[in-house]
Amino acid sequence: MNGRLDGLSAERLRQWLPLATLVVLVVLVGTLQPVFLQPATLLQLASDTAVLFILATGVTFVIMLGGIDLSIQSMASLASVVVALTVARLGYGAFALAIVIGLAAGFLSGLAHVRLKIPSFIATLATGGVLYSAALVISGERSITLADAERSYQSWITGTLFGVPGVIVIGLVVLVGAHVLQSHTRFGRYSSAIGAGEPAAYASGVKVGRQKIIAFVLSGGFAAVAGVVLAGRLASGSPTLAAELLLPSIAAVVVGGTAITGGVGSIWRTLVGALIISVVRIGMTFLGVNIFAQNIVFGILLVAAVAITIDRSKIPIVK
Amino acid sequence: MATLSTTEATEHAQSPKPVRKFRLASWAPVAILLLLCAIIALINPNFLSFGNLVRISQAAMIPLVLGLGATFIILMGSIDLSVEGVLTLSAVMLSMLVLNGANVNDYGLLAVLFVLAAGAAVGFVNGVVHVRLKVPSFMTTLGVWFIGVGVANALLGGMAIRVNDPWVRGLAIERFLGFPWGVWLAGACLVVALVIQNHTRLGRHIYALGGGEELAALSGISVARVRILAFTLAGIFYAVGGILAAAQLGLGNAQIGNGRLFTTVTAVVVGGTALSGGQGGVLQTLVGVLIVVVLANGMVLMGVPPSIQIGVQGLMIIAAVAMSIDRKLMRIVK
Repeated sequence: MNGRLDGLSAERLRQWLPLATLVVLVVLVGTLQPVFLQPATLLQLASDTAVLFILATGVTFVIMLGGIDLSIQSMASLASVVVALTVARLGYGAFALAIVIGLAAGFLSGLAHVRLKIPSFIATLATGGVLYSAALVISGERSITLADAERSYQSWITGTLFGVPGVIVIGLVVLVGAHVLQSHTRFGRYSSAIGAGEPAAYASGVKVGRQKIIAFVLSGGFAAVAGVVLAGRLASGSPTLAAELLLPSIAAVVVGGTAITGGVGSIWRTLVGALIISVVRIGMTFLGVNIFAQNIVFGILLVAAVAITIDRSKIPIVK
Repeated sequence: MATLSTTEATEHAQSPKPVRKFRLASWAPVAILLLLCAIIALINPNFLSFGNLVRISQAAMIPLVLGLGATFIILMGSIDLSVEGVLTLSAVMLSMLVLNGANVNDYGLLAVLFVLAAGAAVGFVNGVVHVRLKVPSFMTTLGVWFIGVGVANALLGGMAIRVNDPWVRGLAIERFLGFPWGVWLAGACLVVALVIQNHTRLGRHIYALGGGEELAALSGISVARVRILAFTLAGIFYAVGGILAAAQLGLGNAQIGNGRLFTTVTAVVVGGTALSGGQGGVLQTLVGVLIVVVLANGMVLMGVPPSIQIGVQGLMIIAAVAMSIDRKLMRIVK
């Protein structure tokens, strides 16, 4: 009885810990640096979080199933290159092309994982390499800066809508879309079921393979959207544009409370996780921590969050 | 899950040495390597020149040393993504401790020993976090990968440090029987790894864990100890890789590890070591490394840009893993 109560409170703690952490962090940074709490700074924070959040949203679908996608940063970079190369010719079609490539790449990752039965971390490590290679080849291994005429197509990203920066609007659209996908579609419910217990889901007739492939398609698609937005914000495309975003994205998902064992999690948690990562980053910048050295903190954060959220009953043998 | 492990365990019990069993499939990598060599030699006879063989051995020495470390981890059915982190950290620390262009240190061999100890320490941390906190190895080592590169960055502050130590530089420059000393060092590492794999308790226990962890635990093997030791051992190999990388490049910088994880994993799985554990070994990794390096060398000889090689390696990983996985044993793939 006592053990069950403990379990319950631990579960509740786990559920609210990320949000509490976010609030504490915001108050902490706000106290140290009152500028932080001004609306303009908060808006800037939200804008800076958008790309990370979109990447993390895609990978959330895969992690919910108990898999992982290590190719998202390569996909986002490839999307930025595709946009930079084709926007002059295709106009807005360049964004569509990049996103279609993302969906297709996700589909191939999913096929490699499901049909060839390759563990997702190795399948996506491999497809990530293929995508990186593709980005290197089509970009000629260089960074492509957008010309002024091409930048006009980016106004939906760089401009504002009723005073709200475009990236935040895109982030909100992604949030709503992903939330609907996860909470109000058959795919979303099947994902939770597969993540919670794959054999049971399989036995009750869920087409497990198909749901997994859909998750990877979404992950690739969202990664491409993130790459498109990033290219717009930085007014350039490069095969390494998003290279530094893999760890923060996965950390955002896990820190938000989605367990890598699958089944437990939501897009809202990923939003909280992405905001935590952003606030931590801003806090470190205030403290003068080198941007690359910040990975030390994210690495520790990632492992700590996994250790807290993981459901050990699901993995009798931890490999 | 329970039934799955039992099948694995019985499978293992029926054939205590699945590794040594002669199977046609296990010779496929060797055949591919020979075929590859034959094709490239036909297209470009320069491939077989002594100069090119030395070039291949130079290109293979670092992937081999890294692959040896990773082999022990993959044999247990785990994965180690921290290769680049440990390598970068080791190379940077070495460049700061030996005679260099940035400070007055000149610790020579002492620095090398320190770097090896540091590699072992990072590997030990990998193992302890993985085993004690029960965090799957790919997550633990993903974190440690970025922590390692982050620490290297913090140490450097964006600089690159030139290595002036004649001994370290000599690994890449000085030759013995035509081959650089670094190649001989990598060869020595291969022998050490072979001895550990075939003639020590640790080696046998690593195979036992990969073949079926529950059975291994039931037969009295301290699973936690073996896992921590294996990760520590891998860390030492990556540190050797870091020393060789610093010697080859002549400097330590934070990008020195870029792309190395990919080559390492490709080499190990292409050689025929199964990701599910228990199958394969150090010699398979040697073959895998040679396949990757010979293919890269051949592509250079044929004028294919290096950027395509990463993509080819990616496809090789998928093909090799798809062929090596024994699907009868795997119902749930995550």
